[in-house]
Parts: sequence; C-alpha cells; structure tokens
Amino acid sequence: MRNSPPESPVSSISERLSGPDRRSPEGRLFESLRPDLVRFAHWLARDRALAEDIVQESLLRAWRSRDALKDPGAARAWLLTIVRREHARLYERKRLELVSLDEVAETQAGAQLGESDGELFSLRHAIMRLPIEYREPLLLQVLGGFTTEEIARELALSSTAVLTRLFRARNKLRVICGIPAAPDVSDSEAAS
Amino acid sequence: MTCDQARLLIGAQPGASDPTLEEHLRTCGACRQFREEMRALDGNIRRALERPPALAVQRAPARSPWREWALAAGVLLATMAAVSVWLLRPSETLAHEVVAHVQAEPNSWLAQQHVSAAEIGDALKGAGVALHVNSDKVMYASSCWFRGHYVPHLVVQTDAGPATVMLLRHEHVRAQQSFNEDGLSGVIVPSGAGSIAVLTRGAGNPMAIAGQMQQDVQWLPQGK
Repeated sequence: MRNSPPESPVSSISERLSGPDRRSPEGRLFESLRPDLVRFAHWLARDRALAEDIVQESLLRAWRSRDALKDPGAARAWLLTIVRREHARLYERKRLELVSLDEVAETQAGAQLGESDGELFSLRHAIMRLPIEYREPLLLQVLGGFTTEEIARELALSSTAVLTRLFRARNKLRVICGIPAAPDVSDSEAAS
Repeated sequence: MTCDQARLLIGAQPGASDPTLEEHLRTCGACRQFREEMRALDGNIRRALERPPALAVQRAPARSPWREWALAAGVLLATMAAVSVWLLRPSETLAHEVVAHVQAEPNSWLAQQHVSAAEIGDALKGAGVALHVNSDKVMYASSCWFRGHYVPHLVVQTDAGPATVMLLRHEHVRAQQSFNEDGLSGVIVPSGAGSIAVLTRGAGNPMAIAGQMQQDVQWLPQGK
C-alpha cells in the first residue's frame, strides 16, 4: 500500500480559491484584496517573491478560519493582520537570509517605470530602509488605515509607544526629503 | 499642550485634528508650520507606498566548484600542518627543556656519594611515583620545578658513568624520543601515566637505562 503524497498548502489554497470556492463570496472577496495584501507584504518583507509566499500562506490561513470573519467590511484589516503575523512568524520560524539593502538596487525596469520624481524615488528607498519597528506601524497606519489604538493592540504596545514610533518614522523620512529633523520626543514626554 | 506634545501628535498623525491641538496651533506658528510640512510629507509617503520599489539583489558572482574544492583542500592542508606542528612541538621542546634543566644543575653530575633513602623519598614526594631502586646507586636526588610541576631529578650511577633520570608524570610522549644535544645523549620514553627522561654523557646508553627505569618506577594513582 502506498502512501499518498503530502498535500501542498500552496496547491491547496490555489485549488480552493481557483476552484469552486473562488466563486464563493469569501473567495472572491479575498482574491479582490490580494493586490493590497501583496503590496503590504512586499513593504514588510522587502522582497516581492517572499511577499507572494506570505500572502499565499496568509490566504490559506484566512480561508480555514473564514468563519471568524463576521463583517465582510472588516476583511481587509483582518487579512492585513494575518499577513503581518505570517510575516513575523516566518522570521521566527526560519532564519531567513538577511539581505543588506546596500546590496539592493532598483532594477532598470523599475527605475524607468514612470519614476521621474527623484524625491519619491528616494522616499521609497528610505521607507524600505526604516527599521522594522518603525516601518511596521507606519505601514499599518498608512496602508492599512489602522488607528493608533488598533496598531497598539496588534503590536502589543502602548498607544504612546506607537505614537512615538510613528513620529520617529516620519522624522527620519523628513531628512530624506531635505527637511531638517524635528527634535526627538522622549517616551516620557510622549506619555505626559 | 506643549510644543513637544503637539509635535508628537502631528508627527504621528499629520492628518488628525484634536481640539487641544487646534487650540495650541492657534497660538504657535512653529507648530503650525511643522504640521504643514508633515502633511505635505505624508502625502508623499502615501504616494510612495502605492508602489514598492522594484529591487534586485546584486549578489556576488557564483563561485566555481573548483574554487570551493581548492578552498577546502587549502583548509585541510592548513589543518594538517597545524596538527603536525602541534604533535611535534611538545616532544622537541620537552627534550630541549630537559637538557637545559640538567645543564642548569651541573653539580648534579659531580656527586660522589649516594644519597640516603630519606633524600630519595623527599625527591619523590608529591610526584606521584614510587621508585624500586637500590639507594646506593642514586648519587643525586632533588625535587625540581619543571614545566609547572615538581618532578624527581635523579642521577644514578651506571657502569658507563652517571646518568640523569627525570620522572615526568605530567609529560606524555606517544613514542620513544631519542636526541643528542650539547654533548648529551638522551631519550624520553612513555611510561605509565607519564614519561621518563634519561640523559647520559659520553658512552652511556640512555635507552638501556630508560628500559631499566621503566621496570623500577611505579606510577601511583593521581593525588598520592
């Protein structure tokens, strides 16, 4: 008697979302949000291929626990949190090859994709170079539309700590845009 | 609200509006300007985040497999060389140090009278060794500091003249080591837990003496 080959999670979600389930309301909703999820994951992971993997795994997890999603209007935020956790889990589970951004350059094609604004170009790279503790809340706020309190819950931080991180993230980006950095705020000041 | 608190709120949420903040901004031109700058910056951040940069990792060119093998072979050779040096160094150094020690005690060769059993006992004390030898053959017995330990340094009388014997409990040699240095013939042989060094001058046969000493020496358990 031969054992059947192990089921691949990737093929599984692919089959489910491209099969009958894709025609289901949840399947269509998830698929419609995939570009947003990939973009979010890409900014988190700083790697397109890795972002695709993270989103694929996240959609699988989401599909399995789709009953927990009571309000379809909250699907985007719900899926973004799953992606964020999957990204964090990936780094906990594996020691991924860390690539210094000094070794990374924008490809010719990317640079020519209508990128005429030098400031925006620099800003993108500056955001990519932000440490994850600053980049993550910024992405959750700007791309995810999360409030400070929601970010605090998601990252298990105080609201004050989130405000401080968001302030510092933008303060670092000010310099890239040629604006002098504002005086930093201490955590104690932020708390008062 | 202080300017620091206002800047924190503005920096963290440039688009947000708060009654307390608005009240502060009515009277603080610097914070008003800060908010304008941060709102403009935030607009750019939103535009920038619309599209992640297309990044490509510039990796070093792949190494040829031969280079990997050459590197591995180099490491292996270096390791073998280091091991060889390590294996050879102690014995050579040990022989040299035995000779140097004996030369530093030239009077040890000149003794004309045998030492007492008590003196032999003192020389052996704490060295972890017992010696079954007739005391009238031992012309010199001393406990000498050698390589971090007190070791028995003896001169025994043989038919071919005096021979120096050092009982080296803490020195281990893998095989017999014969050497000649500064007119001295010597041998270091493994024995029990340690080794025995024998040096002769002139016609003496250190190997034969070492063989006899191997039978006369009893290595005691550690700590005795």
